Amino acid sequence: MFVAGDGAFLDSTGGTLGFRAESNRLNQMLVLLRRVMVDVAVIGAGQTKYGNHHLGLKGMWAEAAENAFASVDQNFDPRQVDEAFIGSVAFGGGQLGNTAALLTEHSGMEGVAVRRVENACASSGFALRDAWMAIKSGQADIVVAGGIEKMNDLSPERKRFWLGVSGDTEWERLAGLTFPGTYALMARRHFHEHQSTHDDLVHISVKNHMHGFENQQAHLRKQVSFEKAAGGFMVADPLTLYDCCPTSDGASCVILAADHVVRQFTDDPVWIRSSGAGSDRLALHDRPSITQLVATQKASKSAYSAAGITARDVDLAEVHDCFTIAEMIATEDLGFADSGQGGLFARNGEGIRNQGSVCLNPSGGLKSKGHPLGATGTGQAVEVFKQLRGSVESERQVRDAEIGITHNVGGSGATCAVHVFGRDRNE
Amino acid sequence: MSETTEWKGYLLSHSNGSLLLQSPYIHDGTPVFGPDSDSTTMAVAGIQYLHAQGHKFTTIRLPQSIDAQVVYMSTSVDSPQRNQDLDDDVVDWHLIDGEEATLVLSQSDDEHYEFDEPIGTEIMDDELFTDMKAAWEQECSLQHVSQGAYVSQSQYYEGGAARLSLASQNFDGSIIWPPRQMDSSGVRLPKEDALLADAATVESWTKLSAAGAPSEFSLRAPILGGVQTVLVKFEEGPRGVFLVCDDVEYSPRIGDQVHFAVRRIYAQEGLIRYGLKAIPQSA
Repeated sequence: MFVAGDGAFLDSTGGTLGFRAESNRLNQMLVLLRRVMVDVAVIGAGQTKYGNHHLGLKGMWAEAAENAFASVDQNFDPRQVDEAFIGSVAFGGGQLGNTAALLTEHSGMEGVAVRRVENACASSGFALRDAWMAIKSGQADIVVAGGIEKMNDLSPERKRFWLGVSGDTEWERLAGLTFPGTYALMARRHFHEHQSTHDDLVHISVKNHMHGFENQQAHLRKQVSFEKAAGGFMVADPLTLYDCCPTSDGASCVILAADHVVRQFTDDPVWIRSSGAGSDRLALHDRPSITQLVATQKASKSAYSAAGITARDVDLAEVHDCFTIAEMIATEDLGFADSGQGGLFARNGEGIRNQGSVCLNPSGGLKSKGHPLGATGTGQAVEVFKQLRGSVESERQVRDAEIGITHNVGGSGATCAVHVFGRDRNE
Repeated sequence: MSETTEWKGYLLSHSNGSLLLQSPYIHDGTPVFGPDSDSTTMAVAGIQYLHAQGHKFTTIRLPQSIDAQVVYMSTSVDSPQRNQDLDDDVVDWHLIDGEEATLVLSQSDDEHYEFDEPIGTEIMDDELFTDMKAAWEQECSLQHVSQGAYVSQSQYYEGGAARLSLASQNFDGSIIWPPRQMDSSGVRLPKEDALLADAATVESWTKLSAAGAPSEFSLRAPILGGVQTVLVKFEEGPRGVFLVCDDVEYSPRIGDQVHFAVRRIYAQEGLIRYGLKAIPQSA
């Protein structure tokens, strides 16, 4: 077959095949185009409370999924789910293989194509990205992204083995480093290069505990004074107990839908305007700088560009504050403060809800809400979904929120996923 | 009276071309090893000293108490214990393991030597000595197994030369350490054929509390009050992270100069993992 100059289709003898064939081709192209252009919305999201959970993996996941299903405005049948992506480190190794299939089996999604996504603490941030891509590719219309971790049913000794599995074990762990130590190295260097101080980190801790105090899903629901946070037990010099997130049990679940099916479920969707991701060298000492995370910079740049926004357009951000220094550095890498000015940003209270230029960690962040490793990324999406729909506890609602982001980091910055959410779709 | 030299945390004395190495720590009147030393780490230090003095030998006879593989990876000096192709009678040097924390390096295989007592010993706290000895005995047992993150024996040996001798890759005008597999264009990098200089500058540091330390250190960290790690930059460019040698009391500062010595890192399933630790100049 050849294409003639006027666009008509000719067979090999030069005869016209007619417009039916052309019409079929156009339809196919339109279907393809629609798939490429498809927008993705969050239609439901839910989680367990984070903390020391009495439930096991199956029970926690069922609770998170049940809450997500219930949050969908119209009836939602889990048998409608085309694909599922569930993030987990499988902490403790109790269900290291086929974790995800076990969970969907117990949450009404038996038979769905499912897999576990593992990228350390960014596991479900990447599960969310994979779910988003599954819809964007046109291969699925309704997809579940979630995460889960059970961390507090291990003996202290076994837990400590598992807390250091996501760094460069051969080099960092043999040098005595777990993540408190790795982030402590980053903090001390940031102090040295940028004249930031531990007091700046204390401001972050106090803020996140203040935000989390009102969050009924948070692990550590307690306000902390500056003096108390400043004088905490030294975990990894210069980081104290109040600079470190807790180890939490928890699960989170987010339901995504393609634009052409969204209205079957809700008139009030939250749109995923973009997804960005990046990676970096695993070991801290292999990176040119230890006071910035290249993976975050790459992920946020990509996400902002695709969404057509800048950091100034962001109203709220769920930031990966596994340690307070992680939030300070993320403040810079995400563009909320200039390079080296994260300390000043915290000191000036810029991240406080309804007070600063952007609300950082309205949920309380990992520091107060908790950090069940694999559940954290989609747990951040649960918070942004609720904030943008105005359905969080009224006392902690970010006013006039239109755009929110999630920032989920694996390890000390080897992987990072950033998502931009909006009340509106991309223009 | 022969002069005492301090070298990589040990005391050295010379006599008639032979070298005595002794741990500086004394307990109950006899020399004992420090918190992360043993006869293997001291043997490595002795060979490195002789190399630094211009004795460029390549073979040595070692007693069974010494890990010949670690000696080889640290110094490139081979031994009949490790390499059965080597003739036991034609080795360059001999190493004799003393009853206490002493070693003698000699070019003869005599069993008896006379050395002056080294100067610079210090008394080791009785409780520290007893607790550390018990901790290492427990840690070195076959039943002491990993429950999570695991550096296997083969993985440990694969990085052995880089870990123990700072062997690095020389590629396109840059020195790479620890070793990498490919460059950014997908070209396979060469094997390690250069050694980093034994000197680096502290860029950051931390001291982890015993509760925050990796579980590999869980038996010893409480005795030592935590573990201390420095992030350093070598003169050639690469960076690395290292524990502090002998767990000495040390308050690092960014900009401090350090050099390195082979020490015990931890033990698991009957295998002691050795590596380089930082010796601060201000310690």
